[in-house]
Amino acid sequence: MAGKPAGPTNAIDQTRRMLSLVTYLRERPGARIEDVARAFGITEDELISDLDILPLCGTSFRGGDLLDIDTDGDRIWWHNPDDVAEPLRIAADEATALLVAARAVSTLPGLREGDRQALLRATAKVEDASGEAAAASSRLSVTFEAEGGVFADVDRAISERRRLWIRYYSPSRDELTEREIDPIRLVSVGHTYVEAWCRRSEARRTFRLDRVAEIKILDEPSAPPEIELRDLSEGLVQPAAEDPEVVVEVGPGGRWVAEYYPHDSAEELPDGGLCITLRTPEPASLRRLALRLGRDGRIVSPPEVADSARKAAREALRAYDEPQGGYDDGEGRPQGLSGAPRDGAPNASPGGGGAHRPDDGPHGVHDGLYGRQEQGL
Amino acid sequence: MAIAKAERLMNLALCLLGTRRPLSKRELRESIEAYLEAGSDDSFNRMFERDKDDLRELGLVIATVENLDGEVGYLASRDSNRLPPITLDAEEAAALGLAAKVWQQARLAGAASGALQKLRAAGLPEGVDPYEPHGALEPRIPVHEAAFEPLMLACRDRRPVTFDYRKATAARPGPRHVEPWALECWRGHWYLAGWDRDRGAERVFRLSRITGKVRARSGKYTADVPDVVTVRETVAGWAGDITDRSALIRLRTGSGYPLRAKAASVRELGDGWDELEIPYGHGLDAWLVEFGPDVVVLEPAELRADVVDRLRAVAKG
Repeated sequence: MAGKPAGPTNAIDQTRRMLSLVTYLRERPGARIEDVARAFGITEDELISDLDILPLCGTSFRGGDLLDIDTDGDRIWWHNPDDVAEPLRIAADEATALLVAARAVSTLPGLREGDRQALLRATAKVEDASGEAAAASSRLSVTFEAEGGVFADVDRAISERRRLWIRYYSPSRDELTEREIDPIRLVSVGHTYVEAWCRRSEARRTFRLDRVAEIKILDEPSAPPEIELRDLSEGLVQPAAEDPEVVVEVGPGGRWVAEYYPHDSAEELPDGGLCITLRTPEPASLRRLALRLGRDGRIVSPPEVADSARKAAREALRAYDEPQGGYDDGEGRPQGLSGAPRDGAPNASPGGGGAHRPDDGPHGVHDGLYGRQEQGL
Repeated sequence: MAIAKAERLMNLALCLLGTRRPLSKRELRESIEAYLEAGSDDSFNRMFERDKDDLRELGLVIATVENLDGEVGYLASRDSNRLPPITLDAEEAAALGLAAKVWQQARLAGAASGALQKLRAAGLPEGVDPYEPHGALEPRIPVHEAAFEPLMLACRDRRPVTFDYRKATAARPGPRHVEPWALECWRGHWYLAGWDRDRGAERVFRLSRITGKVRARSGKYTADVPDVVTVRETVAGWAGDITDRSALIRLRTGSGYPLRAKAASVRELGDGWDELEIPYGHGLDAWLVEFGPDVVVLEPAELRADVVDRLRAVAKG
């Protein structure tokens, strides 16, 4: 069952569920295990472990006043004559969890209008039924980001099973590329992404909607190959073990790098900085990071990345009439603003199968108008 | 074999819900096998208190009543525990099903499913499987920060907290004493707004910068909690989203799409360069440097100097 919340077996959740099960099963003699598990959003195994415990529960084990529930492995039967259970009121945490999520989802720009109206009606009813328990839900809120127009087109293409043409911005190469994609699903984790089969690279790719510069729905049908949907609970960015290693040393002012880049390790340095080891399919794409860091950090390895950042900075300084002496990077350079070669970031993209990542590697984490760094307090 | 905690909690819940008169601890101990096996009075008492708290946590209203003999009894009356009537149609049920699965945090995911299950027991329509992808949209609320759960509970219960916090550019974390008001998730990150006791002012904290444990403190809030807490505006200011100034830059033709997307005006210069007017807020200098030799800052002079300064640092390597 794709998308089912992972159900950690924790005694509180299980008790909560069993209390609801008791009421639910009483109303439905002979309910099928399969149907009950689906209605409760749990696996059949989880349901069966509940059914193992329920007959041991009751108002007094000595008096034999236990729940009389049994199953033949297919259907569930209930034999108690009296009404031990009624639906229970919604707890504060439950109201918070459901209402905060419902309010967040209802703000998604791409939600179909009918669904939004249904959700708003349902939210109001749950608020009413929760009474005081709903009050604390105002202390938590979530805003999803999504680009309305792009979202609507992707959503429509998915429901009509049509191919999309996009112009997509890749921050690692600072360029727009055109490609045709077969959209599979939309995912909102902070930002909103479309997971798709990219016809240019013949591989699964994730595209962030706010980086889609232009979009068109094509007449061709969308035909993504059958692929297993990933569990996204580990995050969208999942560097692969075979990706080259990059070591970044930052001072205190560059610690944000560890917050924004998924990394293998981050060791404390004596000056309050960090030594961060991460993996990316395209180390050259980290030139941007090296430039942004300035005196707050540097790329230790691979050395080519640090060299390319140094060269880029020197070239940039020339436009400000900075003195050219004093630097020696051992290469002749064309002078002036025009005609300077841009560092050719390799276009190598990771092959089809295996690892899956947003289209531009760890750069899938750009934030804010001016990039990643936000000053805290 | 030890009796599973879920079985013990379930028995306690059923006893308290099933009784018409308050049950004493003694009676409960005699009725519930796990309590009989608990051993000493001490360990039974501890277990019983914890279980009572757990049941309250999942929403059970348990009344404590003293009987004529001065003995304390407990009951969960049906009236105070019954879900008020609620009728949802199939569309509303499907929409709630979508909402219930967005949490990626165990406690809230469990609580959201729990709410849905209670509604299910009360007759929530099942026509649509809520756990199948609803249309093509799969919203997820990420929660990676360890500080989230204790802060969520502190906000809920209005309990002051202390934690170590590292400012974005500080080498070492420093202790903070905070009265937490609200948590907000924006662009995938969690922030806390609250009253900073040492600074005597409202502050916003980014959860990923909290180091070590969040500890709840006893005592009441000393500052009033505002009706509306504006976390997002504060954070947007840090991110440079809020500004009324602008900057003039030259950008190499064909590069820097995000700068173009934010630009108030773009003028082609015809020599391989364009001139752009862009909003000038916090952090613009660092962002412009990312584009290396493809960007030249024209004005203001202050921004130009900041960018040159940053470029020099990199050029010296």
